[in-house]
This record gives sequence, C-alpha cells and structure tokens, in this order.
Amino acid sequence: MIEGIPRRLRVHPQTAAGLALLAGLSAVVAVVSRTDGQFGIFAVLGVGFGMALQRSRFCINSAFRDLIQFRSGRTMKGVIVGMAVATVGFGLHMYTLMPNPWLGPVAPEAHAVPLSAALVIGGVLFGTGMVLAGGCTSGSLYRMGEGYVASWVSLGGILVGLVLVSHSWNWWWDRVIRPAPVVWFPRTLGYGGAVLLTLGLLLAAYLLVLWVESPGGSVGDVPPPAGARTFPEAVRALAEAVVGRGWPATVGGAVLGGLNVLSYTAHMPWRIVGELSRWANAAAGLVGLAPPALEGVDELSACALTVGGGVLTHGLLLNAGLVAGSLTASLLAREFKVRIPRAPARYVQSLGGGVLMGYGAGLALGCTVGAFFSAIPSLALNGWVFAASLALGAWAGVRLLEKIP
Amino acid sequence: MFLDVRGEICPYPMKKAMEAMQSLPEGEELEVLVDHPPAIDTIRMAAVRLGFAMTVEAAGSGEWRIRLRRQAQEVSSR
Repeated sequence: MIEGIPRRLRVHPQTAAGLALLAGLSAVVAVVSRTDGQFGIFAVLGVGFGMALQRSRFCINSAFRDLIQFRSGRTMKGVIVGMAVATVGFGLHMYTLMPNPWLGPVAPEAHAVPLSAALVIGGVLFGTGMVLAGGCTSGSLYRMGEGYVASWVSLGGILVGLVLVSHSWNWWWDRVIRPAPVVWFPRTLGYGGAVLLTLGLLLAAYLLVLWVESPGGSVGDVPPPAGARTFPEAVRALAEAVVGRGWPATVGGAVLGGLNVLSYTAHMPWRIVGELSRWANAAAGLVGLAPPALEGVDELSACALTVGGGVLTHGLLLNAGLVAGSLTASLLAREFKVRIPRAPARYVQSLGGGVLMGYGAGLALGCTVGAFFSAIPSLALNGWVFAASLALGAWAGVRLLEKIP
Repeated sequence: MFLDVRGEICPYPMKKAMEAMQSLPEGEELEVLVDHPPAIDTIRMAAVRLGFAMTVEAAGSGEWRIRLRRQAQEVSSR
C-alpha cells in the first residue's frame, strides 16, 4: 500500500501513532497548565514516570520475586539506585521545607506514617498479591499502557480491594494505626545524619542483593558495540538506545528517582494509591456502596485513603499520565501489542492478586511506590518495615505461584 | 522444539523456557516465541546458567523469537 514511497522515508505505523500521541499529550499539558501551573508540571511528570517505567521495564514486583525465586538482583539494584538518588534530593527539599526537623511532627508531604501492625499486614498482603498478579500498582498501570489485558483486570481487583479496606478503615485506624508511633530519622539525627543512615542502609541492601545472587551467577547487560562510527550512525545509535532498546534497570531507577525528587519539589512525592482509592470509592458510591466518613486520614500524609474531591487532581494527572506515557513509549519502541492471556487461571490470579494489593495498600498507606519507593527517601523507618513485609509476602506469593502451572 | 509463551507474563515465560531447556533432547534447538519484553532478559539469564547460547530476533511488533542451543554440545561436536 505504500510501495510508492522510498523505503528510507517510510514510518512504521506504531512510530507515527507514538509521535501523534506525543503531540496530543503536549496539547493536554498546555490546556491543564492554564487551570493551575502545578497541574501542567504533574501531567509532564506522569508521562515521564510512564515512559521511564516502560523503557526500563521497571517492576518492583519482579525486583522482589526474581531475588527470591531466581536469585537474580538485576531489577532490585535499579530500585536501590533510584531510592539513593531520591534520598539525597528529598533530604535537601525537606530541609528547605522545615529547617528544624525536631520542631514539628514531620516535613510536609513526607511519607512518614505510624509503625503499626497494619503496616506489616498490609505489606505482606501486598507482597503476596503482586506476585500472584504479576505486577504491583505502578507495574500494572504501565503495562495497561503497553496493552496487557491482565493488567486491566489487576487494576479492577486493586479498586475492589481499596473499597473493601475503606469500609473497614475506621476500625484499623482506631485500634491499630492511631496509637502507633511515627519514626522519622531527621527528628533525632538531623537531616545530614538521616541521609547518611539511609544511604548506608541502601548500600547494605545492595550488598545483600550481591550476596544473594552470587551463588547463581549474575548476568550483566550486554555492552553496546564499540568502534569508529560516523556522526549520523552515532545519532541513530543514541535514538535506538533511548527509544528503541530497553534501558538498563539502574538507568531506569536513577531516572525515576530523579523524577521523584522533581515531583516532591513541585508538590508531593510520587504516589499512586490515594488517588486510586478516590476513584474506587466514587465508583462504589454510584452503586450505593460508599464507605463511611474516613477518620484520621487528614492527619496522615502519604497515600491515605481518599473520598471525594474535585475532578482534576495532582494524583489523577500522575496516574493517567503514567498510562499515557507508557503507551507512547511502547509505540515509539514499536512494542505495543494487545496481549491476551490464554490460561483462564491468569485472570483469577490478576483479580485476586489485585484485591490483596488494594486491601494491603490501604492498610499500609501506600503501595510499592508510596509506602516503599517514596517512603525510604522520606527518611522514615516505615519504608524499611514495609520493604521487609513485602519481601515476606512475596516469598509466600512465590510458594503459591509454584503450585499454579 | 517450539514453545509459544505469548500472552504469559513473568515469571511464566522464563519458568517454561527453563523447563523446556532442561528436557531438550541432545543436539536439538529450542525456539521460544514471546511477547513480554522483560522475559528476554530473564530467559537470557536462565540460558547463561544452564549453558545455552541464545539469539533474539524481532518477529513482528511486540513479539520476539528466541533460539536456544546447548553450548556444551557445540563445543564437544567441534
């Protein structure tokens, strides 16, 4: 059909669709920027998160699962690098927000939440759910953009789980969460000490990953071919590395960590679940299942459950931008495809895993992004407790998964 | 031997490829068709650990054909 066009001028249909989408997204950014300057920034950040997730196939679920199941630390190293980048940036930004950390409760919008049994239970449920579903919340959102039908089912499960936890929230808040202490390192160590402690713990975690994977033998990324090349060849190689081939996990982690710092500097750290709970509870309200008034959520930062609010929010732009950004990146890489699982068990896994993730994220005040990837750089102990609980849940999930062919 | 794992996501493509590699008759080649990009990396890791040489080629948009051959076999036949 395009025989008349010289071969080198033909554009792949997916590339053309990706470029058109990029132009459309730029128009959306221009429009939302007129309502509020921050909205434009958050639309760009959402698209950026989606593109970086898609390019590096950054999946916090596989970071935990591959380490446990296959002794492979490739993705976990990227996650650790991302949190190290964000730790330094968050520390600097929290210092400008609240120069005397021992005066107030915690820096505004920092993901420091009570260390309660709900955090541990939430982490275990989330860890099990993400392994069963094959992706955490950020993973499911970016795969929705790439055309994975099962990830749309997972999102449905997550929304159901969030409605369920919203209905039982007041009990958890009153009995378990409210009485628990918040441990935010800068209050006792100052910002410098807290950043150094967190970086030290991240280094220890990196060494632990090396120790776990060393008996299996690690496989590094394949180095690019070297040698002399012309300028046009070098430009083509650059374009291929950025939009064609996937990024190494550590590059993806560093980019996501940097975007997270920008996000906090603009308003709030990267978070997903609070906004999802707003959609879930709005949908539940339409069928007469609206949750009761949620106690205590105004006192909590991070991804506390939400009801109501306006249509356009920072969180909506981050989440919708993420799906759109991932779709754009997958089209530009010519990787978009509607992927339909053939085994019926996969749909059950996606839905059930999603419900566990939704309930767990409600209890833990965040998912692998809000309660982990943004909480450890917030210099808060709850990020580490959630990480350990996630690992425990992922271990249980791997045991369960081995029984499902 | 041919293995079609399209529609499957991690860890299934790698798990199934690993099982197929372990049961592959001597001298035979394993061909795996995937549409889940991260599986290329995880199958590569499994191939290295099990001593298989691996090549990847794009097979249409969002699909890849992976060919796996036992390396020890190639060495001994030389």
